[in-house]
Amino acid sequence: MDIFVTLAINGLAQGALLFLLASGLSIILGLMGVVNFTHGTLFIWGGYVYIWIFGLTGSFVLGLLGAMVVAFAMGVFFEKFFVSRVYGNVPAQILITLGLQVIFTELVRVIWGATPLSIGRPTFLAGAWDISGVVIVHYRIFLIAIGLVIAVGIHLLLNKTKIGMIVRAGVQRPDMVRALGININTYFTLVFAGGAALAGLAGALYAPLVGSMTSTAGMHNQVLAFIVVVVGGMGSFIGSAGGSVLLGLMGSGVAWFAPGLATIANVGLMAIVLAFKPSGLFGLAVKK
Amino acid sequence: MILKKDISKKMMIFLGVLLAALVVLPHVSTLSTTALFSRIFIMAIYAMSYDILRGYMGFINLGHALFFGSGAYIVGILFNNIGNTVPMFILAIVITLVYSSIAAFIMGKIVFRSKGGGAASVVAGAMTTLALGEIVRHTAERWRDVTMGADGLSFRIPQMFSDRTMFYYYALVFLIVMTLILRQFINSPTGRVLMSIRENEQRAEFLGFDTEKYKLIGLQVAGIASGFSGVMFGVMNRFVNTELLTVQQTLNALLMTLVGGTGTLYGAIIGSGFVNIVQSQLLNFRSVHPIFERWLLFFGAMYVIVVIFMPKGFMGLYYSITDKRRAKIKNHAVKQTAGKS
Amino acid sequence: MSSLLKVDNLESYIGLFTILHDVNLEINKGEAVALLGRNGAGKTTFLKTLMNLVDTRSGSIELNGKSLVGIPTHKIAKMGIGYVPEDYGVFDALTIEENLKVAMWKEDKETLERLDYVLELFPDLKIAYKRMAKTLSGGQRQMLSISRALVNKNQILLIDEPSKGLAPVVIEKLAHALKEISQNTTVLLVEQNFAMACAVADKFFIISEGRTVESGSIKDLMKDKELQHKHLGVV
Repeated sequence: MDIFVTLAINGLAQGALLFLLASGLSIILGLMGVVNFTHGTLFIWGGYVYIWIFGLTGSFVLGLLGAMVVAFAMGVFFEKFFVSRVYGNVPAQILITLGLQVIFTELVRVIWGATPLSIGRPTFLAGAWDISGVVIVHYRIFLIAIGLVIAVGIHLLLNKTKIGMIVRAGVQRPDMVRALGININTYFTLVFAGGAALAGLAGALYAPLVGSMTSTAGMHNQVLAFIVVVVGGMGSFIGSAGGSVLLGLMGSGVAWFAPGLATIANVGLMAIVLAFKPSGLFGLAVKK
Repeated sequence: MILKKDISKKMMIFLGVLLAALVVLPHVSTLSTTALFSRIFIMAIYAMSYDILRGYMGFINLGHALFFGSGAYIVGILFNNIGNTVPMFILAIVITLVYSSIAAFIMGKIVFRSKGGGAASVVAGAMTTLALGEIVRHTAERWRDVTMGADGLSFRIPQMFSDRTMFYYYALVFLIVMTLILRQFINSPTGRVLMSIRENEQRAEFLGFDTEKYKLIGLQVAGIASGFSGVMFGVMNRFVNTELLTVQQTLNALLMTLVGGTGTLYGAIIGSGFVNIVQSQLLNFRSVHPIFERWLLFFGAMYVIVVIFMPKGFMGLYYSITDKRRAKIKNHAVKQTAGKS
Repeated sequence: MSSLLKVDNLESYIGLFTILHDVNLEINKGEAVALLGRNGAGKTTFLKTLMNLVDTRSGSIELNGKSLVGIPTHKIAKMGIGYVPEDYGVFDALTIEENLKVAMWKEDKETLERLDYVLELFPDLKIAYKRMAKTLSGGQRQMLSISRALVNKNQILLIDEPSKGLAPVVIEKLAHALKEISQNTTVLLVEQNFAMACAVADKFFIISEGRTVESGSIKDLMKDKELQHKHLGVV
């Protein structure tokens, strides 16, 4: 029984991180139809910037904020100068975002070196509770809380604000949003950069969880986030939340009971979802 | 009409000269240039197989490297475990053929479920294939007894392949044969149906074509061609590792087709030449300046530059020039006849 | 009267195909104009060209003397053009209220007054105000789409085949509402349904194979059976 509690917490914490990556990816995909391969590099930039700022100031919060600000700025740069040139052209998007991913991942190696940088957890989150044999790591609880806060925040933003309305409308009919007099390109930039900031945050939170950051962590997490998007349903915010939790829990379960089958389990889940519900578990199925 | 014939005649002469030059090349160049060209030939097949999907079917396969890498692994494993003989090479070709058709069938069954075309299904297909490719890469990494995992697998090759110059000719023949086969496929009735599916899947369906079946065939042909080029690539390098199964490897094919021009088949050959030459030049520059240690920076920049400044690739450039020239001649002719009357 | 919308020698294309070859028309302030023609004549493409959703090759489009050619769609809309597309363009994942709110350029007193006005005009929408738009019927979608174009202070409404696919009762209701709308706003109505066009418009243009071929008063057209037969296929 105890192991299930531990696994559930591990899974939810993992799911929270995945959610930060996948939610941005999913909305970018839904609104702009862009398969964004820069998400992985934004993730590691978030991690490295966090380590750098944490090393300078010793402040956890400043580190997280710094990671988000840098990733947001990178997102604006990517969208304004590159991605916006190739809307509607999927292969070109894949290549251009991948090119940026290769360049910026290599830049990480130039700046911080190719060897992994290790980083501890901040002291106030470093501990663990021991409740009658069940070890609950503070940092994982913290991740779950952050995930929840961000999820609620995005939910409110999408459903209670005009920006959210326009984004939801744009996911379905970008041409009609334009025809109503709204400059949707501004929202494209905003959403892209917002997604980037969340990816940066995910990277910053990931580094203390695993205790280090490497330049290869980006692609791996990006592929996982893509799987979440497919499983949850493209462009669906609820889908990326549900899919992240599902994949996180499954991941921690598989890692315990059948390590080595992790990727196969994830992809297997995706194949099953695609076979029976191609629009994803929470797919909107409105977008043509 | 005469004009068209004229051009194809010029083309024939050009191809003849090119072939003669390629036959002579190993005797006048350094060994490393010969090796570079062998690589270009083999990668060209890989790129062409990708162009069938991308250019002729409008399908973005991000797991395409699984065919290529598997081909290389199959030949490596056979040479390593049974013997580095020519019959084993033939067996590797046969197994790759079977393996690629089955893998393509499974991949297609999953991916082509969501019908109707459109950006959403292209994207869904891209992500699904990405994940399928990851499964194979992961399997190769875990199956250490046979594949040596992340260390990679080195193996000896049969005597007949070990001479670099001879191998150059094998690669050249391989390129020519595969180009003819793939060209035949593109021009076959099946190829034409695929093109009509690319233009308008629904219409093709209304015309009574089982579009899923045709797409499956297209994917199988591309998978097999990719697998074969993987076998040759493995033999050339005498080494195979999981790098050959990564998304990066798939994107190299995408880059090559894009540089050359998609939907042109031959563009892939030009793309392979360009990308591989640039890559080897960048690696050579490492001794000139330490920044070229970071050749990936330039490689990434190439992706971006190609997409922004050369969206139709070299073949697109070529066509736009010849089209302009043709239009010019036509205009000229029109003016002349107008002047006469 | 001053001309509000003036189109000269307009040629537009989609991909490789030229759809409009030579369209000329002029609409004055306050007029209700019907754009008629057979299926595939280029009526819908014409409206899309006005909104720059389809590319213009040559010719001019002027709204109050200002050129619209090459201007981004959202700026054209802001210049005072309300567009009601053929497929309604309703946002399914939004409620009716949100659909209307997204459309509003600002939420001042005037806009809210216009909102009240459209909700009175279409009571159906008022009843279903908080419901998701995906639950609406075709007629209700049409009403929502028209309302969305009315909440802003537009100079002209472009309405693409409002009667398409709707039941006769609903068409009658819509025709009535459109007639009322046209009292206050300039309307350009694309229609196949001749009765609907007659009920709303007072002037007409006919497009055939991408060219404007006839124009005049709709009353004259009602009498001219031969012209009707030639371009509209009505008997």
